[in-house]
Formats: sequence, C-alpha cells, structure tokens
Amino acid sequence: MTLTHPQVAAAPVSPAAEPLLSVTGLTVSYAPPKKAASLGTGAALTEASLQVRPGEIVGIVGETGSGKTTLARATVGLVRPVAGTIEFAGQDIGGLRGRALREFRRSGQVQLVFQDPLRSLDPDLTVADLVREPLDIAGTLSREEKAQRVRESLELVGLDPASTLGRRPRQLSGGQRQRVSLARSISTRPRLLFCDEPVSALDVSNRNLVLTLLDRLRTELDLAVVIIAHDLSSLAGIADRVAVFYRSRVVEEGPIRAVLQDPAHPYTALLTASAPSVAPHHGLRPVDLRVAAGEDRGAWTTPAACVFAARCRFAHDACLEQPTLAPLENHDRSAACHVAGEWTTHLDSQEIA
Amino acid sequence: MSLREHERTLEVSALQVSVGDHLVAVQDVSFEIRAGESVGLVGESGSGKTLTCRAVLGLLPASGHVDAGRIVLGRGADEVDLTAARRTTWDEVRGVRLGAVFQDPASYLNPAITVGHQLSEQLRVKRGLGRSEAHARSVELFTEVGLHDPEGVYHQYPHQLSGGMLQRVLIAIAVSCEPELLIADEATTALDVVIQAEILELLRRLRDDHRLSLLLVTHDLAVVAESCDRILVMYGGEIVESGPTADVLGDPQHPYTQALMKVATIGTWERRALEVIPGQPPAAGERMPGCRFAPRCAYATERCTAGPVPLTSLDEDRAARCVLVEDAVARPLVEVSA
Amino acid sequence: MTTLRAVLRIPSARVAVVVLLGIAFLALFGERLAPHDPLTQYTDAVLQGPSSEHLLGTDYVGRDVLSRLMAGTRLSVLGAVEAVLIGAVLGVPTGLASAWMGPRLEWLAERVSDTLVILPFTVFAIAVAGTLGNGLQQAMVAIGILMSPLFFRVTRAVALGLRRSQYVEAAELMGAGQWWTLRKHIWAKVLPNVAVTSAHATGAALLVVASLSFLGLGVTPPAPTWGGMLSADLGYLAQQSWAPVFPAVLMMATVGSLNLLADAIRDVTGDVPATRRSGRRRRSRKELAHVPA
Repeated sequence: MTLTHPQVAAAPVSPAAEPLLSVTGLTVSYAPPKKAASLGTGAALTEASLQVRPGEIVGIVGETGSGKTTLARATVGLVRPVAGTIEFAGQDIGGLRGRALREFRRSGQVQLVFQDPLRSLDPDLTVADLVREPLDIAGTLSREEKAQRVRESLELVGLDPASTLGRRPRQLSGGQRQRVSLARSISTRPRLLFCDEPVSALDVSNRNLVLTLLDRLRTELDLAVVIIAHDLSSLAGIADRVAVFYRSRVVEEGPIRAVLQDPAHPYTALLTASAPSVAPHHGLRPVDLRVAAGEDRGAWTTPAACVFAARCRFAHDACLEQPTLAPLENHDRSAACHVAGEWTTHLDSQEIA
Repeated sequence: MSLREHERTLEVSALQVSVGDHLVAVQDVSFEIRAGESVGLVGESGSGKTLTCRAVLGLLPASGHVDAGRIVLGRGADEVDLTAARRTTWDEVRGVRLGAVFQDPASYLNPAITVGHQLSEQLRVKRGLGRSEAHARSVELFTEVGLHDPEGVYHQYPHQLSGGMLQRVLIAIAVSCEPELLIADEATTALDVVIQAEILELLRRLRDDHRLSLLLVTHDLAVVAESCDRILVMYGGEIVESGPTADVLGDPQHPYTQALMKVATIGTWERRALEVIPGQPPAAGERMPGCRFAPRCAYATERCTAGPVPLTSLDEDRAARCVLVEDAVARPLVEVSA
Repeated sequence: MTTLRAVLRIPSARVAVVVLLGIAFLALFGERLAPHDPLTQYTDAVLQGPSSEHLLGTDYVGRDVLSRLMAGTRLSVLGAVEAVLIGAVLGVPTGLASAWMGPRLEWLAERVSDTLVILPFTVFAIAVAGTLGNGLQQAMVAIGILMSPLFFRVTRAVALGLRRSQYVEAAELMGAGQWWTLRKHIWAKVLPNVAVTSAHATGAALLVVASLSFLGLGVTPPAPTWGGMLSADLGYLAQQSWAPVFPAVLMMATVGSLNLLADAIRDVTGDVPATRRSGRRRRSRKELAHVPA
C-alpha cells in the first residue's frame, strides 16, 4: 500500500508582508518563574530572534528546557526579558507593565493556548462561562453580542454549541476539552495565537483533527499561529516555517520543508533522524550524527563555545566560539553553525580541519 | 515439543479481563512472544493494551481481574502459570524473569534514596549479592544502559537526573536479574524525540546482547514500525490484526490498521491534508454486537454487527479479525483464467 | 447545591443534619414550645424523677428539666454561632487577601495570626468574662477574635494553592484583575473549606460556652444553659445520679453532629473524594475512567 497524501495548496502568505510579531535579540535570564507559573521551566533564552507574518503558521521545536516556551511566556508578559525587543504590529510590547499590560491583554490580540486543558480550564465553570470569560473581562460587548461570539467560536472549532454550552470540562473528552480551550482563545478574535504543545497529549487521530482545525482557523480568521512542540509530528502538514531551539538559542530557522528535509544545522539533522516514522527510513540515522560514546567532550563545554558543540560530531576549533544566527546564501533561511550545510560532506570522515 | 514451543517466552491464550461491575475490557486476547523477539502492542487509549500488560505482570487495579484464559511464562521445566498466581510466585517471577518499565520514570523511583542504591537493593534482594558486589555490578549495569559517568550517577538522587537518564536507570533495574521478558508500557511516550530514539536503540541492543524478549506497548505506530519484529493491533479490547511488522504495515488487512496507517507520521513535511479516523473508540466494557470497529468502518456491512467476529488466520503468522478477511480466505485463492 | 446533595447521600451526614436542624429549631422556638416556664420553681416537686408531668424530672429548686433544656438551647448555641461568625468575618477576607499581598504585609498578617493562636480559648474567655463582668457577649467576641487565625490559615492555604493553578494564570493572561479572579475562580472553591472549619469551630465554641456557664461565668442565673445545668446537677449527684446525662447528651449530640457534618463536607469536596468505607456505593462508569486501558 503506497502512502500518498493529497497535496493542499500553499497558504496565501506573501513573503513581503510586514511581520506581525518581531522578536529581536531577546534574552531572558534563568530566573524562577513569576508566581511559580506552570508554563515552561523558566529556561533561559539567549539572543533569540523570530518573525511571524500575518496568517503564517510557525513551529517552534526543541527539547524540554530549550527555551521554546520561554519565548511565548516573554511575549505574553509572564517573564521580563533582560535584553532585546518584542514588537507586535509595530508596537513595543516587551516593556508593558501593570495597567498598560492589562489593557493590552484585554484587547485580546495575542492569545495563548495552554498545553493541558484539564488544568487550564476552571473545572467548576461551564463551557459557556469559560469561552465567554475573555469577553467578560474586556467588557466591550453587550450580552447578546457575547453570546453570539461564544456560539460562533464553538462552531469554528467544530463543537455543537447546543450540546456543549452547559457542560463542565470533566464531562468532555480530551479532544473536546482542547477544542474548548481553543474556542476560548479565539473568542476575542486574536491576530496571533501561541499554542503550547497543543497535540502532545492526544492520540494520532485527534491530533490530526486539532492540527487541521488550527490550519482552518488560520485561513478563516486571518490568524497567525505559533505552535510550540517537542516533536516534529505536531507540525506535520500545516506549518509554514520552523525555528529549532537548543539550549536557549535558535539554531536554525526557515521554511519547514527545506529545514527538515535538508537541515543546515547538525542538531536539526539529529532531530529529523530520530523521529520515528512508519514509512521506510531513508537518509541519516541518529548514530551517524552522534559523538562516539565515552569520548571526553570537556573541551567543548566552555560557556563561550557553541551550545551544541559537546554533542556535535562536526565540532572543530572554530566551534569554541558560539556562532550567531546568520542567513544562508540564496535561501529564506538562517542557521547558527560554522559549517552550516557543509557538515554533510564530512559524514564519512572523522576529523574536520 | 514443536520448535516454536521450544522458543516460547510468553504465551497468552484467550485472555479475558474485566473491571468494576463486570465490564469486560479485554476479550479473547491470544498471542505469543518468542525468545529474543520484539513484539509491539499498539492501540489507542481505551483499547485494552495497558490492562493486558498489567494482567501479564499481575498488576491489575483492585477493580480488575482475569475472568478467563491463560498466561504462561517460559517453557518446559521452567514453565510457570501466571494466570491465578499466588503472591509467592509473583515474588519469584517479577523483577527476576519478568521486567517492566513504565511511562513516568520519576514516579517509579524512591526520591529519598540514590538511584545506585535502588539498583543495588534489587540485586541484593533478588540475587543475594553482597554490598560491594552489588555496587560493582550496578555500575556495570549503568554503563551497559549508556549512562555517562556511571560511578557518579550511582550517588545521584532521582531529582538530579533528566527523564532520559531516569528511564535508563529503570531499564537497568528491570534487566538487572537477566529476565526473559521486558515489558515497556509507553516507556518512551513522555521523552523528547532524540532521547526516545536513544532508548529504543538501547532496548534493541539489550535484546541482541541478552536474547531478551521485548513487549513494547504504545499508541505510536511509528515507534513499533521501527523497533518491533511483530505487531499486535488492539481495538476495543480485542486483537484485530497481528503478524510480522513489515507485512502488516505494508499490506494491512484490517480496516482499523489501514486507518492507523493513513493517520500515522510519515516523516515528510509538505503541506498536506491530515487524515482522521471519524468517531470515537468504544468505552471500556461497552457491549456491542459483532465487530467493535464497525461504527467507524468505511466498509461495514450488516454481517459485521450480526455476531461476534472470529480472528481469521491468513497464514502461519498473520491473522485479522474482519468479516471481509474471513470472506477472502474462504474464497478459492486461484482464479483460473480461461 | 450539588455539594449539599452529595453530602446528604452519606448516611452519617444525614443523621447529623437532622440532629442539627432539631437543635436549630429548639434554639429558635424552644422557649415557646417548652411545656413549662423554665424559671418557675415547683417547690413541692423538687429533685423528682421523670413523670408524666415532668418528662425529664425536676432540678434542685423544682424547675422542669425538659423546659430548661429546650429554653437553654438558644443561649448555649447562640454564643457559639456568634463567635464563629466573628472569626469567619475576620479570618476569611484577610486570608484571601494575604495570598495577594506583598511579602511585607503577608509577614505582618502571619505574625498577628501566630500571636492570636498562642492564646488558649477557654482561659482567655474566662479572663475576659471575669474582667468585663458576666458578659457572654464580650466573651464570645473575644473567642471570635481568637478563632480568626483558624479561618485565616485555612483560607490562605487554599487561596495560595489556587493562585498557582493554571486556570488562574489563564485568567491573568486574559487581562483579569485580582477582583475578577477572586470572584470567579477562587471564592466558590474556598467555601467548602470554610464550611468545614466553621463546623469544627462551632463545636469548639459550644464547648467554651458550656465551660463558661459551667463555671458560672458569662450568663447570669437563673437563665438556663446546658453548662449551667451540668454544673448544678453535679452538686446533687447523690440525689439524682442520672441528671447530668441530659445536658451532656445534648452537647454531645450537637458537637458530634457538627464534626460528622464537617467530615462529610470534606470528603465530598476534597480533590479526590474519598470512598466511604461504610455503606456500599455502586461504582459508576465515570469513576472507572481512571482505570488504564
């Protein structure tokens, strides 16, 4: 049985469009999360830059502690960056505090969907209350308008308002809960949506359902979506671009197909080689990319060295200095590697000059 | 004794497990694991796969019990019936002939004792080793499971180690007494993809080095595709298809397996329409006439829900529980063209 | 409320509620429904046993025991309720607020609470009642103040835990102010704990009132109180050895029921509702949802 999947037309994102979200040189120090928040581990972020254009789906991929959730937390104001800027639609939101921050949050232009809907939905409230809450807090719509918006939001995520409005989270299935969480975040008609591991707790069929839903919301609401994931299958089929995080840095970034099929950074190659697949595996295996076991990598663990050098087979003298994220020639891509793209030629040899 | 019986590590026959008020959650489950073989048990949550593996380990929840069937470990003189085993039998089998690792490694380790000490404890209790012997053997085991600086790790507490390292520790504990079978219940589900690949590679290596049989229980078809010799697909408490992995995934006979293949991860990144399996799996113990996948099946007919569907053998190694397969097998295979 | 219904499903709670309703009824209407005037002394029927005329007998000055018990309910119970109300009004809002206050105010609130907690209820009440004259009111206000740390700590603990929950963080990200979060997400979840604490506290306060009146403080005789009756009965044990049983039973019943009710509320509203060991409950399909499949 061959595996053919119907191709879908590319999303209508013009590359020349002004970025909706522009994060530049963002650095967050390793501080304990404010109010012991449950989002992320408080991992540091170092000189991270990312751009999201309107209507684009961007995937942020990395291990636990790579800083991928920190970026989202900083954008919504849960952590204060030490350096760098965060611009949303031309407005600097990185410096917002207190009342200004609350006003911005109430405007509902940037929303965040948490990883675990069981924990992020108040168990004592009904679906109606939950989805309506951001509108209640903003207080700009009338009661009828709010009810209408709630119904629309539920329909947009594929839930039947009549049967779900009165239920409580515990009475719904995992997939339904995740959709209620989504409905709540789109009720303010945001322009940018952060989704923290939206599908990692779901089985494959539900996973595809939610991903398809996100894709549809992107087109119907002209919404830009940032999907934070620790595995690549969470981005399959719908992401336009991907940014790969490793130990607080962005190590590679670009159009998803180019980056994952032809990785410029050895860590990205390790990720794609490690990801299991039902189709026969062509290309590199993780063992091709790993450092020999038992080898002493102490020389590469100095703070100034490249964050990946200690695990990188292709580390050489230049790697004692952390490379910056630099655009690759002729591509809409960047990578932070001294041998970006070239390491493929050194797969057979043991040493690199 | 046939050759196959000679190699048999685990045999489960017609297992039926119920929970609570007579809700049959696992029904007519039969399979066999041979020495050195890796078998993947695949199913969604609610398919009965975890209960099956808990039954084999004797770790069913208080509300669950084995209604019918047999579970036999080993062969010949070493054979032991685990179906209604007593506590003393379990003490001799678990950790010694049967090892297990589960999903959240941190919750299976005592947070107040160093990991090395926990492994030594296992060796001292089950193998009777002395203190320094156990220490040395523990460090050896830590090296074997790929832990960097095993002597240092010996003195670490669980909270000081990452998820991947903890899972390696648990694997070390599970294989410390050279068991015949290792059961991994969603052992890599919570781990990052790079670590997952490393752990699966480790399990493969252990299999080769120690002729260890492996039962990998997971909901991820892709993991089974890469790591298992044979596959068992479970749905609604029953086995719906079984056979060598490459054969089953290359040419799935059961509509559910076909649907799983359509939605599975294929490792390409173009924009494409993502498939879903419409509907929801049946609740545990829900009584349904006939095939339990029928409500969601694209090929369902009246015959499917008329009565219970038996598992049809396709050849020596493959089987599928489907009315259409039954038909195909019954029809003469050779169509003579004029 | 669903909680109330869930509580009433527990047999011991049902009994407790019935008893407490009875006590409440007596507190309100006991005086009027009493067969005799509690203060009337039937001097020719002193220290008599139960009879058709006096169902529970008479005391040392010939007053009808049953009437005194019924009438005495109000004074005995009211003081306790007053104390608990004061304790709750002082403790609950401050407990909630302390979960949001800056570290310095938090520290101050905790130290105040620590200080109050040191003082023992009964001794302090005696001191107040003794110095300010036989005022039950003053004593109970004092008890109320002393009880407030109990409510403060319970409420604070719950509020702190809830404040860290993800749905509160989600509300914060929606731009919610503290008032909104409190009202919408925290208040209703704090109430069960407050209810449990109140039940326990009422029982304790009741015993304090009884102790005070036992010692002759707080209420001026000849007003009937359970504690006062107990005290008087002890003086005449030789003649009526069974007499102390009646007021004691009433006190036990009330305090016991309050504790049973508190247990029931706690069991029903806890994070993982405990399965009752006594009484069989049919396991529903939903409860088996946690069973791994």
